[in-house]
Amino acid sequence: MATVKDSGMEALEKLMSTEPPVFLAPSSISEVARAASQYLFTKLKPHNPKSPIDELLVDGYDAEQIYQQIDMQSQPLLSSLRQEVKRFAKNPEEISNFGNLVVKATNEDDVDEMDMDSDDVDDEEGNELEASESEGEEEEEEEEEEKKDGDNEGIEDKFFKIKELEEFLEEGEAEEYGTDYKNNKGVPKRKKHNLSDDEDDEEDGEDDDDEEEDGEFDAFAGADNEEADKLGKARYRDFFGGKKKEPNMKLKNVTEDEETEDEEPERGNQGNEKLSTHEKDRLKLQAKVEQMEKANLDPKHWTMQGEISAAQRPKNSALEVDLDFEHNVRPAPVITEEVTASLEDLIKSRIIEARFDDVQRAPSLPTKAKREVKELDDSKSKKGLAEVYEDEYVQKANPAFAPATFSDELKKEASILFKKLCLKLDALSHFNFTPKPVIEEMSIQTNVPAIAMEEVAPVAVTSEAMLAPEEIFSGKGDIKEETELTQEERKRRRAKKKRKFKAAESAKEPNKKARDATTENPKTVTGSEEQ
Amino acid sequence: MAESTKMEVETATVTAPLPPKPTFVPLTAHEMSDGKVQFRKLSVPPNRYSPLKKAWLDIYTPIYDQMKIDIRMNLKSRKVELKTRADTPDISNLQRSADFVQAFMLGFDIPDAISLLRIDELYVESFEIKDVKTLKGEHLSRAIGRLSGKGGKTKFAIENSTKTRIVIADTRIHILGAFSNIKVARSSLCSLIMGSPAGKVYSKLRSVTARLNE
Repeated sequence: MATVKDSGMEALEKLMSTEPPVFLAPSSISEVARAASQYLFTKLKPHNPKSPIDELLVDGYDAEQIYQQIDMQSQPLLSSLRQEVKRFAKNPEEISNFGNLVVKATNEDDVDEMDMDSDDVDDEEGNELEASESEGEEEEEEEEEEKKDGDNEGIEDKFFKIKELEEFLEEGEAEEYGTDYKNNKGVPKRKKHNLSDDEDDEEDGEDDDDEEEDGEFDAFAGADNEEADKLGKARYRDFFGGKKKEPNMKLKNVTEDEETEDEEPERGNQGNEKLSTHEKDRLKLQAKVEQMEKANLDPKHWTMQGEISAAQRPKNSALEVDLDFEHNVRPAPVITEEVTASLEDLIKSRIIEARFDDVQRAPSLPTKAKREVKELDDSKSKKGLAEVYEDEYVQKANPAFAPATFSDELKKEASILFKKLCLKLDALSHFNFTPKPVIEEMSIQTNVPAIAMEEVAPVAVTSEAMLAPEEIFSGKGDIKEETELTQEERKRRRAKKKRKFKAAESAKEPNKKARDATTENPKTVTGSEEQ
Repeated sequence: MAESTKMEVETATVTAPLPPKPTFVPLTAHEMSDGKVQFRKLSVPPNRYSPLKKAWLDIYTPIYDQMKIDIRMNLKSRKVELKTRADTPDISNLQRSADFVQAFMLGFDIPDAISLLRIDELYVESFEIKDVKTLKGEHLSRAIGRLSGKGGKTKFAIENSTKTRIVIADTRIHILGAFSNIKVARSSLCSLIMGSPAGKVYSKLRSVTARLNE
């Protein structure tokens, strides 16, 4: 082991001595580096109980793989070291336990790593014991404080203490927000111890913490004592600023004022550390009032100044502000799928109904009757030229005798048709019945019942004959039928009939006789004459 | 001496009956021409010879009976001769008869030519196609075709609308009718000869005749 360790130390020293550019070039320095890293690994292994690997495997491994192994070891180691540092930050008196051992190590030039390691191990164990002792001291202090409160006895037991919970929460807030809780709280504790001892303890504690953080810094520890001292003298106020300084420029004025105000009354009432709630509220209100008064005095934002031209406001500032003005134009309709769907449905329904909004030409009524357009007659005229002039003359001279022209005949026909139609329509509506116009015509009157002739829808049924009785029979005196006649009257009728017949015969015969005389032979003629 | 004068004066006051007013009978045409007979001789073109023969009686009857003009056909010289008679009422009858016969010779039908006898103000105008526009060969034929139209319908359209009668004899055109009507017919025929289509001529005719007939 010693030989390995010595070779490891030699390797480390060799690494230290080489120039940085040599690291960049691939060379034999890699072997040295591997040896050194192996050595460090074994050194750190006792501090890390959870490491899975006992030894750093170097032969034939890639740089990446070696680094992964180191990483595996160092991760839990770092977290444990952080916890230790926090613990020491809380309880610096524990660091004093390490102080003697560290002084020894810094004084001796030849650092005995084994002793250091064992001392470290012992120190750790001692720390743990002393931590428990210091914790016991703390518990005593806390018990004293608890006696002051003495309320929460029901919930608490030896494991859970509300006071400790509150302290823990406030410590966390203090660390996060950078308030000087720790200083405030820690002052009474520190006041109990000696200041000089505390400072020494703090220095040594700082040295130990530095040493324990990383194994590689062990090399520095022996070399640079002055730096360690400087580091040791670093205080909270150097990092987070003292009471009088404004700690963080990022904080708003409000919080800054609050802090200053919080601090002022503390400084003013040096004796009162706690403020009553009323005073706290009053302080807050005062801060708000001061802020608002300050805002009123300051020049207003450009949006609140009334009429502003482009020169008086910053560039492109109008784009950032939400301006409100009247739009005279209706916004363009957003064409969504719903809009198009509704339109299409409307179109479809219209097509199905066939209800189109086509523009229809309004029919213009003719204001006056069209003139008679005389058509050009293409055929050969049937009348001679003389007849044409004749007709023209006659029409001019005597319009009544003028033979009807073609147009006149058409007009006549049209008027006749129209009259017939009117008559039929009037017959349908009795109230406006007008009888047929009397046209004196020669027509045959049939002896037909009047129903058929006069009324289409008869109001009263009549069975009168069309013809008048005189027209049916025109006779004079007392008319008797044959059955009614007496014998004498019959005789009389027959005699009358005979007489008529004879008279008619004799009227015909003289003509006949004359004709016969001229044509026939004289003998026959004389014969007829004699008779 | 004074007594004699008195006597003369007295005799003078006693007026003798005036001779009767002479009554002058209007002169007959015959007497107007101093008893001389007037002639008209009209030559018959060969193409009208046989139509004349057919329609001779239709010509003869109105002239002889109503116009009281003697008419005869000289076969040797192929001429129709007209002569006034003693009882011809009007001197213009001869001229009218001559015009009537001449119209027949030109090619007009008898009923159309008769109008010359009956109506005073009718005239016959003749002109040639070449007077309007010099056309040769096919152009001439086409012009003649345009004038008549299909089946003569253009010619009849003009005749009917303007109350005239038109005869197209090869390149000669004769128009019979009243003076204003002749003018209208002539202008439409000329436009046809010049080349305007029949439709255009029809439309013009319509407007003109409407105005004429008002």
